[in-house]
Amino acid sequence: MPSINPISRRDFLWHTGGGITGVALSQMLARDAMASTPTPRPEFNGGLHHPAKVKRVIQLFMNGGVSQMDTFDYKPELERLNGQMIGPKEKPEGQTGPAGAVMKSPFEFKQYGQSGRWVSSVFPHQAKWVDEMAFLMAMTTKTSVHGPGSYMMNTGFLLPGFPCMGSWISYGLGSLTDNLPTFVVLPDVRGLPYNQKGNFSSGFLPSRHQGTIINAGSPQPVPDLFADPRHTFASKEGDQAAMSLLQKMNRQHAAMHPEDTRLEARIASYELAAKMQLSAPEAFDLTRETAATRTAYGMDAPITEDFGRRCLLARRLIERGSRVVQVWSGPQGAVNNWDNHGNIPNELPPIATSVDLPIAGLLGDLKSRGLLDDTLVIFTTEFGRTPFAQGSVGRDHNGNSFVTWMVGAGIKAGTAYGRSDDLGFKAAEGITYCYDLHATILHLMGIDHQKLTFRTAGVDRRLTDVHGNVVKDILS
Amino acid sequence: MASLPLQADDFFATKIEPLLKTRCYECHSHASSKMKGGLALDSKSGWETGGDTGPAVMPGKPEESLLMKMVRWTDDDHQMPPKEQLPTEEIALLEQWIKLGAEDPRIAPVKASGDWWSLRQLNKPVVPAGSAHPVDAFILAGLQTAGLAPNSPADQRTLIRRVYYDLQGLPPTPEAVDAFVKNDDPRAYENLVDQLLASPRYGERWARHWLDTIHFADTHGFEHDDLRPNAWRYRDYVINSLNRDTPWDRFIREQIAADVFFPDETHLTAALGYLGAGTYDSSAAATAPTNFEYLDRDDLVTQTMASFVSTTANCARCHAHKFDPITQEDYFALQAVFAGIGKGDISYQADPAAALQFKKMKELQNAIERQDASVLLSPENDALVLAAEQAPAVAWERMFPEILVANDGSTLERKPDLTVLASGTLPDKETYLITATTKLADVTALRLDLLTDASLPEHGPGRAGNGNLHLSEFQVQVFRPVATKGEPAPIRRAVADFDQTGYDVTKAIDGDLKSSWAIHPAVGVPHHGLFEFTAPLHLEPDTKLVITLRQLQGGSHLIGKFGISATSAPPDKLIALPVEAGKISLIPRAERTLEQRMLLASAVLRQKAANEIARLPAPAQVWAAGNAATNERGLVAIKEPRTIRLLKRGDLAKPADEIGPGALSVITALKSRFELPNPKNETSRRAALASWLADPANPLTWRSIVNRVWHYHFGKGLCDTPSDFGRMGGVPSHPELIDWLAVWFRDEAHGSLKALHKLIVTSAAYRQSSEGHEKALAADPDNRLLWRMNRSRLDADSIRDSIFAISGKLDLTMGGPSIANFTSKPGPQTTPILNYENFDWNSPGASRRSIYRLVWRAIADPFMDALDFPDMGLLSPVRGFSASALQSLALFNNEYLLKYCENFAARLDQQAKTPEAKIQTAFQLTYQRPASAEEVADFTTLAAQQGMPSVCRVLFNSNEFLFLD
Repeated sequence: MPSINPISRRDFLWHTGGGITGVALSQMLARDAMASTPTPRPEFNGGLHHPAKVKRVIQLFMNGGVSQMDTFDYKPELERLNGQMIGPKEKPEGQTGPAGAVMKSPFEFKQYGQSGRWVSSVFPHQAKWVDEMAFLMAMTTKTSVHGPGSYMMNTGFLLPGFPCMGSWISYGLGSLTDNLPTFVVLPDVRGLPYNQKGNFSSGFLPSRHQGTIINAGSPQPVPDLFADPRHTFASKEGDQAAMSLLQKMNRQHAAMHPEDTRLEARIASYELAAKMQLSAPEAFDLTRETAATRTAYGMDAPITEDFGRRCLLARRLIERGSRVVQVWSGPQGAVNNWDNHGNIPNELPPIATSVDLPIAGLLGDLKSRGLLDDTLVIFTTEFGRTPFAQGSVGRDHNGNSFVTWMVGAGIKAGTAYGRSDDLGFKAAEGITYCYDLHATILHLMGIDHQKLTFRTAGVDRRLTDVHGNVVKDILS
Repeated sequence: MASLPLQADDFFATKIEPLLKTRCYECHSHASSKMKGGLALDSKSGWETGGDTGPAVMPGKPEESLLMKMVRWTDDDHQMPPKEQLPTEEIALLEQWIKLGAEDPRIAPVKASGDWWSLRQLNKPVVPAGSAHPVDAFILAGLQTAGLAPNSPADQRTLIRRVYYDLQGLPPTPEAVDAFVKNDDPRAYENLVDQLLASPRYGERWARHWLDTIHFADTHGFEHDDLRPNAWRYRDYVINSLNRDTPWDRFIREQIAADVFFPDETHLTAALGYLGAGTYDSSAAATAPTNFEYLDRDDLVTQTMASFVSTTANCARCHAHKFDPITQEDYFALQAVFAGIGKGDISYQADPAAALQFKKMKELQNAIERQDASVLLSPENDALVLAAEQAPAVAWERMFPEILVANDGSTLERKPDLTVLASGTLPDKETYLITATTKLADVTALRLDLLTDASLPEHGPGRAGNGNLHLSEFQVQVFRPVATKGEPAPIRRAVADFDQTGYDVTKAIDGDLKSSWAIHPAVGVPHHGLFEFTAPLHLEPDTKLVITLRQLQGGSHLIGKFGISATSAPPDKLIALPVEAGKISLIPRAERTLEQRMLLASAVLRQKAANEIARLPAPAQVWAAGNAATNERGLVAIKEPRTIRLLKRGDLAKPADEIGPGALSVITALKSRFELPNPKNETSRRAALASWLADPANPLTWRSIVNRVWHYHFGKGLCDTPSDFGRMGGVPSHPELIDWLAVWFRDEAHGSLKALHKLIVTSAAYRQSSEGHEKALAADPDNRLLWRMNRSRLDADSIRDSIFAISGKLDLTMGGPSIANFTSKPGPQTTPILNYENFDWNSPGASRRSIYRLVWRAIADPFMDALDFPDMGLLSPVRGFSASALQSLALFNNEYLLKYCENFAARLDQQAKTPEAKIQTAFQLTYQRPASAEEVADFTTLAAQQGMPSVCRVLFNSNEFLFLD
C-alpha cells in the first residue's frame, strides 16, 4: 500500500487482522477524528495542493531578537552617522527605552562566497554557507514586544491561542513515521523561551498536533516513554503483560460498538506507542554518531555543546521521519539569549558563537547525507534591534526590520530578497511578514496557504490569517 | 440624481461586473480574501467606503474618481492593475459607468441581515404531539420525519453512570449503583437527579465547563506567565453560584458589573474575576501600552460575546463581519464598554456584614471631618460618648524596662518610677530597643507615655530643640523563655491623645519608615499612644518583650522621656482621649458648650471608628479588572474611559470617528448604543452591557445558554458550535427545540440551570441507549436527530477525578487557593520553571478535585494536555477528542497514574481477601459492573504475575472506563 487511500481504516484493520504493515498508523488516526482533515496526495509527492519539494523542516529560532545590523545586514551608513542623535524623539511602542545615538556595529563585516553576501565576524561558520542560503533581508512584524512577537513568528497572530506553524504542518501533512512524534521542539536546556509552551501550542487544532517537547539533556527525552523503574509492576515484562490484556479488553469492547472509530483509534494509539518505545531510544542516542560528526556540530566545546547536540538530534529526528523540528537558542530572560539590551560587543558574541558552528555542522551534515534534497532549514527570530544605541552600547527591540534565511530544497541558493533602509531601522523594499515566510514554507511543502484552513469560532482560520504571498524570488 | 433606466443594471451586469471580476477581484474582493489598500470592489459599499485613500468611485464624476486615476495610470503612485494597464476600451467602459451614476445592483457578498435563526425574536413554538415530555416531543417529531425511531432506554447501570459523570464528574459508588438498580420506585431516577443536583459536586463539575468557555486560568499566559494568587476567588464564586443556582440573568450581571448592581453584596466582587479571566501581557503593558490595551480589550470583547451570546463579534475588528450582521461600529462600541478598566487584583470585603460596618464607620469618619453636629450629637452617638465617659478607667501596669539599648549613641537611664530618660549624645536619628517584662499573663495592648522633664528642651517630651519628636515605627517582639528567636507581635491599631497634622500615630505602625507620629505644637505636656495587638499576647512567666522605637525622621527628633505600660483590658475599651477632651469630660454634661460637646464627641467617635475598622476582617482580593486594580505596575487607576475610535482595518494608525459604548445593532429589540447620563463613568458602561446581555428580549442570550447546557449533556449542542451562532457556525438540528427551551428557561424556569438540567436529563432522549444500529447509522451517522445517546470519552478532569475516587484517595475539600501538582524553582525572569514529574502525590491536597488544580496557562500539565485539556490561551466551548501515541504513553506510564494504580491496589487489598474478590471489586469500582468469568481468569493471572497494581493499570487505560455509554 503506497499511502493513504479512500479505504476506511476500520476496513483496513479488519482486512489485516489488526496488524499494521507499511502504512503510517498515525496517518489513519488523523484521518478518523475529522472528516475534513486534509489528505496528502501521492501524485504531489505528499503535498496537498501541488507537488511538494520539502518534506521536512528544521527551524532554528533565535529567542530574544537577533541584531540584524551586527550579523547579516551590513550598514556602512552607520559608521558615517555613528554617534548622531537622529532616532525617534518619542519612545516607540515596544521599545524599552528612548532611542539613543546611532551606533555602528562593533564587528567587522566581510563579503563571502560567489554571492558576495556581507556577514559579520560573529558568524564565521555560517558565512561559508551564504551561497546555499536565501535571505529575506526586510522581514518586519507588528510588534516590538517579545511575547506577541514570538507568537506572531510562530503562529501568525499577536495573541495566544493560535496553532503554530509546526502544528499546521502536522495537521496538513500528517506524519512520515509512526516511530517518532511528528512535530518536535527542542528548547534551550537553560529554559523555555518567552510565552513558555504557548509558542508550540496546537491552539484550536486537535491536541495531537502540538509540539512534543524533548529535553535533550534528560535521560527520558520523550515524556512518559517508559515507566519509572521504581514501579516494579511496570517493568518491561509487566508492560507487555498489561498491554496484552489491555488490548484484548479494548478489542472486545470495540467489537460491541463497531461503528465507533474512536475506540479503534485508541487501540491503534497503543500500538503506535509501542513502536515509539522501540524506535525512540535509538533516535535519541547520539553515541551512535562518529566522533567526527559530533565535532562538526561543536559538541566538543562547552560553548557550542548544547546547541550542537540539539542540532544533531534534529538531524537524527528528521532523518527518521519527524516532520518539523524546532531548535531554540536562548531561554527567556535578560541573559544567555539574543535580547542584547545592555552591551552588544559583550553579549552578542557568546550567544552567536554558541549557534554558529553547530549550524554550519548541521548544514554540512544534511548536505552530505542528501537530506537537503527534501529538507528545509530556516533561521529566524521574533524581531530585530535598533540601529540606535540603548544605554551606551546596547540595542533595543525593533519590529521594523530583521533577517531570516532559508537553506534547502526548493530554495534559490545564494539569493537575497528585500532591503532595509540605510540604517537598518525599517524594512524598505521587498518587505516580508511572517505571513509571507509561512506561505513560502507551506508552498514548498505542497500546501496552498490559503487552502489549509480549520473552522473555529466563526472563521476558517489559516496560518497566514488573511495575508501572505509566496516569496517566489527566493525559490528555485 | 435622476433614477436610471432599467438597462443600467444590465449594463453593469454584462460589462462592468465581468470587468471588475477579471481585472480587480484578485486583489480586491472577499472571495480572494484580499482587500489590498483596504479596498473591496465586490460590492457597492466596498467602493463607496473605499480603501485607505478614500472612496474609489464618485458617481457621475469620473474625473474625481480615484478608480479612474488608477486605471489611467495617471502617475507612479496611481497605477492599477499594477502589472499591465487595462485596454483602452475597458477604461472607457468604466468611465461611462461612472458618468451614468455608477449604478451597482450587486448585493453585498453575504447578505448579512438579521433574518437568521439565532437573531430572530424568541417565540415559544407549539410543542408537537407525541410525548408528554416537551423535549421528547420535539426529538420524536424530528425522528419521525426521517423515518427513524429512538433507541430503547439504557439499562440502569449505564444510566446511573451516565448521569453521575454528567452532573458530578465522578463515578457512582458500587453501593449507589446497587441501590439504584434494585429500586423499583418509578420516581427513583428523578430522585437521583435531585440528589445529584443538590450535591456540591455539581457546582464543581459544571464550573469547569464555564471556566473552559471563558479561558480562565491561574496565570497570565504570556511572555511572563506569572501566577495570579487571587484568581481562585472567581473559581470559587462560579462553583458557589452554580450550587446556589443563581438565575442566569443575575449570573450575567454579577460577572460584568456586580459592583454596580449589588454594591452592598461586596462578596460578589469575586464575580468580576470574569473580566480578568483571559491572558495578560505585562511586558506589552509596560512597553507598548496602546497596542496592549487595544488587544486586551479585544480579548475581553471576544470572550464576553462568545460566552454569553455565542457571537463572534471580534471578526468585525478590521472590517464589517464577513458573514454576520455585525458592523465595525458595533465592535468598537463593545470595546468602548471596557475602555475604562484594566486587569489586576481588586480588594473587597468578603463578608457583607463587615462591609456594611465599614461603610457605616467611614460615614462616621466623614461626619467628624465635616463636623456634622446632626450626626455627632445624634442620640445614638451621644450614648456612645456617654458610655465612654462612664467607662471605668482601664488598668495599666507599668512594665519593667530591664535592658535599655540605644543604637546610635544616646544614653538611656531607668528611673525609680520605671520611666526612661534619654540624655548625652544627641544623634540625628536613633533607635531604642527596650527589653521589658510585665506580670500580666494576657496583654491586649501597650501604652507609650511620652513624658516631660526639666532636662529637655521646652520640657520635652522630645529632645529636638522645639520639644518635638518623631516616632517612625513602634514594633514589638516576644521572646518566650528559652526561645532563641523572637516572634513579631503585630499591631493592628494605634490611637493617641494628640496627633500633629500629617503625623498621626497610625504612621508608627504602617511599616513605612519614612512616615512617623509627632506631637508639635503640643509640647511641654505629656502625651500617650495606645498600641493594640492584632491578637492578645499570652505570656508565660519569664517572657520578655522587646519594644523597638525607631526614630528616623532626622533632626534629632528623639523621644526624651517615656514609660511603657501594658493592659489586659478588652481592646474595645481602649481609647486615648486628647487632653482637652479629657478636661471637658470633667465638666457636668448640662454645662458644656456646643463647641465642647462637639470636641468631645469627635474625639470619642474618631477612636470608636478607628477601633471598629481595625476589628474588621482583612479584605480579600480577586484577580479581575476594574477602573482601579493592582498589578505588577502597582495600583493602576483609570480616571476616565479611554477614547475609542473606529480603526480602519483595525489598524491603530488609522483612527476614524469616536465611538460610544454599545452592543450589536442587529438586535433591534434593544438599544444598541447606550444612552448614559454620565458616559465618563465606566461602571455605567459595564452595567449597560450587562443589562443588554441579560435582557429577556435578547434572543441570543437565552438560545446561547440552553444550547450550551444541552451540549454538555449530550456531547454535542443542538447547534454544534456553542459559542458561534453565526453563519459560519453549525446549523441547528432542532431550531424549534432551542427556541422552546430558551423561552421556557427564561419565563418558566426563571433562569434556573438546575431546572434546565432536570428537564433535559429526565427526557427519554437523554435516557436512551447509545447503541448503534445499521438503519439509523446509514440515515443519520452523526446522530443529529438523536436516535441514540452519544457515547463520549470522559474529559481530562473526569478521568483524573475518577482515578482519585476509585483508588479511594479523593479529597473532597472545597475551595481556597489552587493546588499545584508540580514543583517549581525560580526561572530566568518572573516565570518559574515547573516540574510536573517530581511532584509528591502524597502531599496535602494532591488528590483534591481537578477544578482546584492550579492551571498554569502556558506551562500546561502534560498529562492533562494529552487528554485534551484545552490550551487556556483560547476560549474552549468544546473539548476535543484525540488519540495519539503520546496520550497512550501518558496514560500507561505517567507517574501520577502509576502511583494511583498502587493506591487502588492497596484499597483492593483492604476491601477484599481473595484475588477473585479483588478483581470483582475493581470492576465494580471502575466499570460499575461485575467481571465475567473470563475476565476474572485473565485478571487473576495478571495479578498473580505482575501484582494488583498492574490490574489497575489495565482498567484505568481501558476504553470501557474512559468512555461513557
